[in-house]
Amino acid sequence: MRVDGTLGTLDRWGRAALPGTVLLFFVLLTLAPLRVPYLADALPLLPALTVFQFSLATPERLPGPLLLAMGVLLDLLLGGPGAPVGVSGLGFVLIRAAVVANRRYLVGVPFLFQWAGFCLLALGFVVLVWSLTSLWTWTAIAPLAAFVQYVVIVVLYPLIGPLLARVRARDPLNVPELSRGTARPGGTAP
Amino acid sequence: MAIRDDFEVVAGQVRSAVQRFALGLLIIAAFGIMLVGKADTVLVEHVRVVALDLAAPMLEAIARPVGAANRAIADLQEFASLREENARLREENSRLLAWQTAARRLENENEGLRGLSRFHEGPEASFITARLVGDSVSAYVRGALLNVGRRAGVAHGQAVVTGEGLAGRIAEVGENSARVLFVTDVNSRLPVLIERTRERAIVVGNNSPQLRLTLLQSVAGVQRGDRIITSGHGGSFPVGIPIGEVVETGEGSVRVRPFADFSRLEFVRVVDYGVPGLVSNPGVVPATTQPGVSSAGQRVR
Repeated sequence: MRVDGTLGTLDRWGRAALPGTVLLFFVLLTLAPLRVPYLADALPLLPALTVFQFSLATPERLPGPLLLAMGVLLDLLLGGPGAPVGVSGLGFVLIRAAVVANRRYLVGVPFLFQWAGFCLLALGFVVLVWSLTSLWTWTAIAPLAAFVQYVVIVVLYPLIGPLLARVRARDPLNVPELSRGTARPGGTAP
Repeated sequence: MAIRDDFEVVAGQVRSAVQRFALGLLIIAAFGIMLVGKADTVLVEHVRVVALDLAAPMLEAIARPVGAANRAIADLQEFASLREENARLREENSRLLAWQTAARRLENENEGLRGLSRFHEGPEASFITARLVGDSVSAYVRGALLNVGRRAGVAHGQAVVTGEGLAGRIAEVGENSARVLFVTDVNSRLPVLIERTRERAIVVGNNSPQLRLTLLQSVAGVQRGDRIITSGHGGSFPVGIPIGEVVETGEGSVRVRPFADFSRLEFVRVVDYGVPGLVSNPGVVPATTQPGVSSAGQRVR
């Protein structure tokens, strides 16, 4: 399975850097002046979706410190006077830890299970960010906007999740040994 | 073989312990960063500005195709209603021509009266036109990123206007980027006047599309359709920039719809009033009115 030569090295490097690069792209895309109603609201949750999706197969390529750094960058760019910097990083690290700990329930299982897992984890993420931001700024932030954001990203997951899964389709590490179910490499749904 | 198995078991335990410890360490680090951010806001602002400056070129690269797509969609929508739009504009044009005549007459009259009474007007404002390269719109903040910064003469606290009215004020300034806080943001407070009654009030954002009018002396005097303008109190804003109109007057709360259309902002103007405002950051030296024109921002007037 080992590929030698320059191309092989490039291939390995590319694979190792892919999740981080995609995450960075989504962090930057958060700020893109996209004027589609509802969709634009959900942009700040796309990095969380990326973290979830890549942690399913290759968590070792999204090391915790990198996630923390990306989260801090996201908070810095998204701004907001008095908003806590680092809360997204905390959320990313927790999502990754939760996915890694519950891999057997999330990898190689029917897509609906995966979706449900994402629903739970994204809810935890939104609640975490909302509560810490409210606490930090000591104002009762209207939870409706955060809720709309959550609903939109949950609805978007079936569209974007498989796409991201396809990006890492030829990955030999795609299906870990502990996996249950019968999904083939790269497949998320039977 | 038993020793080797034992060794592997112990190694595995150590590894898992380190991994668990790593998670705890990361969580502690995240809270540490949050606490540092709370304790040292100046440092965080500084880092924010550096991050903005670094991200601004990349954002601009993303913003252009996105802007083109947005424009294409808007064009398609407008094609559908071209005829009605044309008729509406014709009517509006004739109405505005009448207004123009009135305004000319008043301007002449005003000039004459000012000459008679030796009226001293405030400093003249200059504009920096900027392109919106990023939205910082989320559940918690309403703002945007501009492609002009300190180098073009942008300073903390300056007003940001669109053709329709006030959009917000500059909250952070980098070398080549700046962040606008929209009037609709929950942190936005503006001293305003009700144009018809000249009554003072404060307009407050709450992250929703509409604004709230507070600290009114009497709610009774406000009618639906009243225009709200900046009062110039606080020093950094010129007097009379339109903000919005009253759309709802209820028990103790007056709602205002902003004139600026935040959903299709592309270019804005930063107003340099030339006076170091009371609300401006004391650490930031207000820009002198230099004639230098940067590649990004264009100085008009």
